[in-house]
Amino acid sequence: MDFLEKMSRLLNQGLLWIAGLLLAVMIALTCGNIFFRVVWVPIRGTFELMGYLGAVVTAFALGYTEIKHGHIAVDIVVLGFPKKLQRVLNGLNGIVCTAFFAIVGWQVAKYATTLWRTGEVTETLRIVYFPFTYAVALGCFSLALVFLVEGLQSFLGTREEEK
Amino acid sequence: MSLAAVGIIGIVCLLLVLFLLGMPVGFAMAIVGFCGFWHVVSFNAAVNMVGTDVWATFSQYGLTVVPLFIFLGYLAFNSGIADRLYNAAYKWFGHWRGGLAIATIGADELFAAICGSNTATVATMGAVALPQMKKYGYGALLSSGTVATGGTLGTVMPPSVVLIIIGLQTEQSIIKLFLAGILPAILLGSLFFLTIFVLCRIRPQLGPAGPKTSLREKMKSLWGVIEAVAIFILVIGGLYVGVFTPTEAGAAGVFFTLAVTVPFGRLKWKGFIDSFKDTLKISAMVFFLVTGAIIFGRFLAITRLPFNVAEFAGSLPVSRYVILAIVLVIYIIGGCFVDSLGFLVLTIPIFFPLGLALGFDPIWYSIILTMVTTMGAITPPVGVNIYVVKAINPEIELSTIFKSITFFLIACLVSIVILIIFPEISLLIPHMAR
Repeated sequence: MDFLEKMSRLLNQGLLWIAGLLLAVMIALTCGNIFFRVVWVPIRGTFELMGYLGAVVTAFALGYTEIKHGHIAVDIVVLGFPKKLQRVLNGLNGIVCTAFFAIVGWQVAKYATTLWRTGEVTETLRIVYFPFTYAVALGCFSLALVFLVEGLQSFLGTREEEK
Repeated sequence: MSLAAVGIIGIVCLLLVLFLLGMPVGFAMAIVGFCGFWHVVSFNAAVNMVGTDVWATFSQYGLTVVPLFIFLGYLAFNSGIADRLYNAAYKWFGHWRGGLAIATIGADELFAAICGSNTATVATMGAVALPQMKKYGYGALLSSGTVATGGTLGTVMPPSVVLIIIGLQTEQSIIKLFLAGILPAILLGSLFFLTIFVLCRIRPQLGPAGPKTSLREKMKSLWGVIEAVAIFILVIGGLYVGVFTPTEAGAAGVFFTLAVTVPFGRLKWKGFIDSFKDTLKISAMVFFLVTGAIIFGRFLAITRLPFNVAEFAGSLPVSRYVILAIVLVIYIIGGCFVDSLGFLVLTIPIFFPLGLALGFDPIWYSIILTMVTTMGAITPPVGVNIYVVKAINPEIELSTIFKSITFFLIACLVSIVILIIFPEISLLIPHMAR
């Protein structure tokens, strides 16, 4: 359990740093595009690159946001339940979300593989973009891992309480 | 079972998952939408739909505006721009009765013009203004409500995260929505001024006059306003004349903010890193909120529930304003129990088509929904701004903040009524723009 939690934390911390760097790249790219559009010609493919970078930036931050409980939730009713029931519900929540994001990650990865095999390229720059799609899948898997840890912690906590 | 009945069951399931499991709003919408799609069409279609929608939504160029404007707001938050705005407003209005409260709203209005986050605005102004108001003997009944309510201006005044989300969800021009928010935000701020003025006339002890400042001090303090005004002119002016796309305006705003704060040592390394972390956290939340709403919207669309509701409401033999009033009451009640942004995203798939079917202007209708959503941030028991104020100053009783908020809620309601009577207030600037 500790190993899973440590792995989830390290993975999401690492992804967050990459997301931060890519966000800086997005800002630099957009400002560069504005500047070069005024003085010379716009940077080709800025719009498509921004879309893909934005996808990776936010997908990589999904897990960290969940660790920090940054996703908006309505806990007003749950907080009124007994602690034990809260843990069971949190565990259930964690397991359902793990399954869902594992499915989403799997589907996005499948789509990335199709893009790779068919050699799909972007419209303007004519570069392959499946790595960005794989990165989004990785973001979904890392979020699934966070939910798995949260779910297991809730259930194990309930068991310990019973003991 | 009819498709509409499946849609209604889907909404009931969504509410159960939201309230009983405490699942985040975006995830709950995505999961219920996925299960509903699975039930109506097939498992394979549902699985394909979520995979495609997640990738398509995340990689949309239009959504890249979100992290850039949030980053701009957090840079302003961490570089002390709010302190300087408050200082200037304080020098100009502090010697009036209730002047510090007026200064807080004034600084809120200016800070909201560069920061799209409601919570960041409250947290910043609360940290600056609450100790000052306490120092000069202001009653908590005035100070707490002023700080909590002032933050709501950030929701209406562009660049606002709420307006961006509405624009993305309803496929409207974010630029037009931004421009449409300017005058309503000024109207709301003016009504807050009036509320403070009236409160201090009735009970002068709530906001005693502060020390006078010289004209020289007043003029000197204006330097603190220049950077905020310059950022606003660059961002919103650039959008107005069509020089920037919204994403470019956000990036240009970030660049300019860094240029006017970093060389003068106003933005520390910790503040810079914190800005990144908070931006990523909120962006991820917003992206999945939008994705969840899209997935849930797909499920509702195949049940045709939103269209049936819109048709039904349109055929009712009552004025469309009666239906609008019902919608607004639902938002006010919903905003009391669900986070205001979450509630907005949750309900747009139903209430936006309804507004269009009733013949309302989509830009004006979006601003009305935004205004009523702002009230959710200050209505108990889940009004986030109230708890931010309580966290900044734990000595203030929650009941005092709730009582204080009531006066400002009246101002919010009056501003909505004025906007309904005079829709031109929100439509004037978008119509003037290219």
